[in-house]
Amino acid sequence: MKRVIILISILAVTLLSSLVISFVAEITVPRSLRDLSKYYIANTIIDTASPESVAAIVWDYRGLDTVYETLVLYLAIVGGLAIFTIKGGFPRGEPMGLTELSRNATKIIVLLIATVSAAIAFHGHLTPGGGFPGGSALAVATMLIIPVYSVNILLEKGITSTKLVAIRGFALTGLGLVALLPVVKGLEIVTNQKFYPGFLNGVVISGSISLYNLLEFLAVASGFTAVALYLSIPEELYKGEVRD
Amino acid sequence: MIKYIVVGLLVFIVYITFAGSLSTYTVMTGLLVSTVLSIMSAKYLVVDEKKLFDLKRLLYAVYYFVKYMTIIEIKAHMDVVKRIINMDIDPGIVKVPVNVKSRYARLLVMGSITNTPGTVVVDEKNNYFYVNWIKVTTFEPVEARRIISEEFEYYAYKIFE
Repeated sequence: MKRVIILISILAVTLLSSLVISFVAEITVPRSLRDLSKYYIANTIIDTASPESVAAIVWDYRGLDTVYETLVLYLAIVGGLAIFTIKGGFPRGEPMGLTELSRNATKIIVLLIATVSAAIAFHGHLTPGGGFPGGSALAVATMLIIPVYSVNILLEKGITSTKLVAIRGFALTGLGLVALLPVVKGLEIVTNQKFYPGFLNGVVISGSISLYNLLEFLAVASGFTAVALYLSIPEELYKGEVRD
Repeated sequence: MIKYIVVGLLVFIVYITFAGSLSTYTVMTGLLVSTVLSIMSAKYLVVDEKKLFDLKRLLYAVYYFVKYMTIIEIKAHMDVVKRIINMDIDPGIVKVPVNVKSRYARLLVMGSITNTPGTVVVDEKNNYFYVNWIKVTTFEPVEARRIISEEFEYYAYKIFE
């Protein structure tokens, strides 16, 4: 009986609180926009050829800031990898991983994550998302493979930290070139529409914004995957190195 | 070859659905992404291409999906709701034999058991699933299979074996 009373009380509180939120203490939604917001909503598409204000702010209006931020993150990852480096390369061993069921489920999940991450990155100049969230999502796929299949499977398939750092380096060089190329024509660094086309056969590509997103996607996915690889090195190995 | 097309199509559908658009840009990038991912992954995902042509398997899959999401799920939910209110529970882990052999059939049975409230597959070993059951009525493996997974196995067999 006591149990039923408690359950009914929980149900009553849940229902009551939802009713209170809906009708009495209504959550206030702002009804007016600040001038700055109005400016971005009205002009983003004209200034940057992108309908997505956030992407336009990040990669165009304050593009130089983002390029430097990307550089800072790159240096942070390089620093991290330098700390975790061990002599004699990555230790290889027999792959163990989880059960057959987990592996089969993971195969499908990894494919779906890769698909969704590509959609996030490719639509970064049109809808919320972009290179960073897309790359982080793709890195989740590899982080899932490590416990389920073992890190050795990634190494056997040729996904080594050296290659990943090289991909990251290539992507960041590309990113730097996209930012610098307008200077050749006497334009400002990180110029978008005056140098890169906003539309291609009527399709919105938002000039440099889609290029930045694609390169950032590669850079973040490879960088985070490299970190995940290094973090899966057993602690004992480092202790051994310190003792030596 | 057909496995690459089927995997590519699956990727393309997921891509388009997630992007929520059928614009030229989405379709073009979707085609690119589905081609790359299907080349990379189809060989790991599909072993027996012949099964992909079998219309009967597809119809069974659609029928099972609808039946599972409606009748089986609702029955399992209502059963657990009743048990929560009455505290009519006696949890424990039982050994359930699995007769289907193919990897996706086993995966479907595991997913079906876990997705219905009241039963969770916690491990698998030597053709047995170890199921955490909210109300253990029997520890006898064959009888437990009859109650927990017989129906799931029937459809998994028809779809994937």
